[in-house]
Amino acid sequence: MNMNTADVLSLESVLVQREGNIASNMDGEKVMLNVKNGKYYNLGEVGGEIWTALASPVTAGRVVEIIRETFEVPEEIARQDVFAFLQSLLDEDLAGIVSQP
Amino acid sequence: MASTVQGLAYKAFGLHIHSEFPLPELPLTGEPGLIGSVSVIQGDLKERWEAIPKITPSLGVSGHEVMFESKDTAIFAIQDGNTITVSPAPGADPDCIRLFILGSCMGILLMQKQILPLHGSALVIDGKAYALVGRSGAGKSTLASYLMDQGNPLISDDVIPVMVHNGYPFAVPGYPQQKLWQQSLDYLGMNSSLYRPLFERETKFAVPVHDRFHGEPLQLAGLFELSAAPEAPVSLQPIQGMERFHTLYHHTYQRAIVDRIGIREWHFGMLASFVGRLPMYRLTRPEQGFSAPQQTSLILEALQQQQVKEMNS
Repeated sequence: MNMNTADVLSLESVLVQREGNIASNMDGEKVMLNVKNGKYYNLGEVGGEIWTALASPVTAGRVVEIIRETFEVPEEIARQDVFAFLQSLLDEDLAGIVSQP
Repeated sequence: MASTVQGLAYKAFGLHIHSEFPLPELPLTGEPGLIGSVSVIQGDLKERWEAIPKITPSLGVSGHEVMFESKDTAIFAIQDGNTITVSPAPGADPDCIRLFILGSCMGILLMQKQILPLHGSALVIDGKAYALVGRSGAGKSTLASYLMDQGNPLISDDVIPVMVHNGYPFAVPGYPQQKLWQQSLDYLGMNSSLYRPLFERETKFAVPVHDRFHGEPLQLAGLFELSAAPEAPVSLQPIQGMERFHTLYHHTYQRAIVDRIGIREWHFGMLASFVGRLPMYRLTRPEQGFSAPQQTSLILEALQQQQVKEMNS
């Protein structure tokens, strides 16, 4: 786990899904198969929304807004959770950074 | 190619099978198949085999057609989930051709029909279906045969077609025959001279099980993955989380085909639609000796615990 999440990602960072993943729904949760490494992931319900939001390039800030609207959570909590999740997508190479401010 | 098919209709894998090749191990039927019908015809595939794009030297795929060649046996074409064409090699062994029709061809055809073929045996225990999967030599057929001796009917041996209905997986019956290795027959005290070898000189035998066969689809209530390890005690652990996807992928019949015919996305979605409702266990046994009775008691114990859990939830 990267401890400097806040230094790497900012609200203006633009991210997008990497190709080569197959996603499907499993009882409300999003599950995914990375075809390249053969690994299976359970993104969960919130993670699934974040993943869907990354279908085309989007700022981390916009993703936080989407999660706040969808799950009615306070901004600070949404920001923490979204950043932590985005970082794990980056760590697993499931998403990539398109541009940094 | 013949447009009407002469011959008898058989029932297996939920299919109504019209076949120009005799398939004596299958029961005859006059009813339509649960999953549909298929024609098995003889035809000259030489030109089509030359023309089809090859994925490996012995496998070709084009659109809705999969073709493969088994040298000295036949060229096979499986089309649109409804036609199997066979072009036998001169002097080919009919028993061997039949093994391919009922094995590889049916597996590919089921996938074309979007039915998941699992590699293993399914049996009825307490009115529900349970699948035994595992690599060759893991002890599937010995355990299946032992369970049958204990009064648990067979649903399918080798290929288990799995259909999903309302989010629940169902095992569809294969046909009333079990394939057993000489060693399994020895363990089970069966006399191999009573059974037919599957091919010439093979040590795998076809054992008819008409009286111990369950011919109707049944909810698949659990899966046991068997493996053998040197000196390992007989033990059982649940398979949890995302590893369950891997287990189902790994034991999909002819899983290499899944990628090669471009149905991985369908396959993954199909697994996701029911994997949450299918308890899975890993069953380990020692390589040496006959441990089917101990394995059986662990299975029954696990099913009892599962029932208690379901009642409490």
